[in-house]
Amino acid sequence: MIAIQVNSLSKSYGFYRIFEDLSFDIHPGECFALFGPNGAGKTTLLRILATLQAPSSGQFNIFGQDGVVEKDAVREIIMLIAHGSHLYDELSATENLQFALGLRGQSPAPPQIKRALDRTGIGAFADLKIRQFSAGMKKRLDLAKVILAQPQLLLLDEPYNALDHSGVALTNQLIQETLGRSGTVFMTTHDRDKATQIATRGGILQGGHLHLISPEQMTTDAIF
Amino acid sequence: MPFFKTIHWVVWKDLISEWRTRETMSSMLFFALIVILVFSFSFSMDQDAARQLIAGIIWVAFTFTGIIGLGKSFTSELQNDCLESLQMSPAPKGAIYLGKVAANFLFMLAVEILLFPLFVLFFNLDVIEAVGTLLIIFFLATLGLSAVGTLFSALTVQIRAREVMLPVLLLPLAVPVMIAAVEATRGALNGDPFSFYSQWIHLLIIFDIIFTVVSFWLFEFILDS
Repeated sequence: MIAIQVNSLSKSYGFYRIFEDLSFDIHPGECFALFGPNGAGKTTLLRILATLQAPSSGQFNIFGQDGVVEKDAVREIIMLIAHGSHLYDELSATENLQFALGLRGQSPAPPQIKRALDRTGIGAFADLKIRQFSAGMKKRLDLAKVILAQPQLLLLDEPYNALDHSGVALTNQLIQETLGRSGTVFMTTHDRDKATQIATRGGILQGGHLHLISPEQMTTDAIF
Repeated sequence: MPFFKTIHWVVWKDLISEWRTRETMSSMLFFALIVILVFSFSFSMDQDAARQLIAGIIWVAFTFTGIIGLGKSFTSELQNDCLESLQMSPAPKGAIYLGKVAANFLFMLAVEILLFPLFVLFFNLDVIEAVGTLLIIFFLATLGLSAVGTLFSALTVQIRAREVMLPVLLLPLAVPVMIAAVEATRGALNGDPFSFYSQWIHLLIIFDIIFTVVSFWLFEFILDS
């Protein structure tokens, strides 16, 4: 089964065309890194795959489920880590995890939550309200969500932003674990150096078109 | 996806957030207190005159106070893009809606129960025999307001002028609930036999069912768009 199957996908805002006629397949076990200049439509494409926006035309399937028609089924197997942390300021780290996973129909036991928080390096702040968290700590809490939810498709928008060296290493570890259980990772990033360490395939979105690139080409300056 | 667990999580999250900030309740209480004081100083009434007008005054205060709470219900989801996480959650959207309705209902009813003794005090009302009936009326009317108000709160949350748009859209739809609540409250405060105003309570029940069912089905479309 193909993890992400995109057929002739286009998106426009009024007369402004973001991208047109995108078609590509991503298979289970692949980590796909999407590059491109600011405003190229990387985040828009990611949000469409996350079922947050509808495409103007074309279709996409996530693990065989239609991303427009079978949204609910798709939402059960994906997780998006985006710029907005999706965290409630007045809840603690533990409570945020309980709530986020509760809405996914999961109820991890307190020791599981503690282990996930310890692994992300914020175990000592489990009971601290999110409004006292730094951007990096919020990002680590997002990673704790990934540890507990174990999504089949992980969608990452600029995953390395706000993370220190150990945070980057942890992100790459979690990506490897997702791929190891035949999951798929789709990330948008400007950080080619970090992405090329982990991505198995990539693409450059520019001028409304996607140019697919091999892992070898990702390290070639001329292609960017 | 467990339906009732989703309702539980949404109510739990809203109650815990409110308990820690007291943002919604305090603004609702403060506003309602001002309304009571303004009406109380504006009218110098004896008990009989008060009974004729007080039902309307009570529901004007409760409705506008409720709108303040309803307005905050979804704006709190805008922080850190939490609305997106509700949108892309695999949980049934109807359950998220009912969780929000339940939380809004609890906030509004709590404010009403806290404020009603002040109405009794400021307007010198004799309500001892009508307390049970009044509680039923408050319960039903507040349920109707929170059912339709929660839907419109979700509808207007992404609009820049949401503070204006929410009452503009909500109040015309809430008029039937308000009229039924005012008439039933007036009957109860006047000490009329229950059969004299029971039709208004039946109307409230019908509106509650219609508003809740229709809003339940529309919520998914509104959240996704």
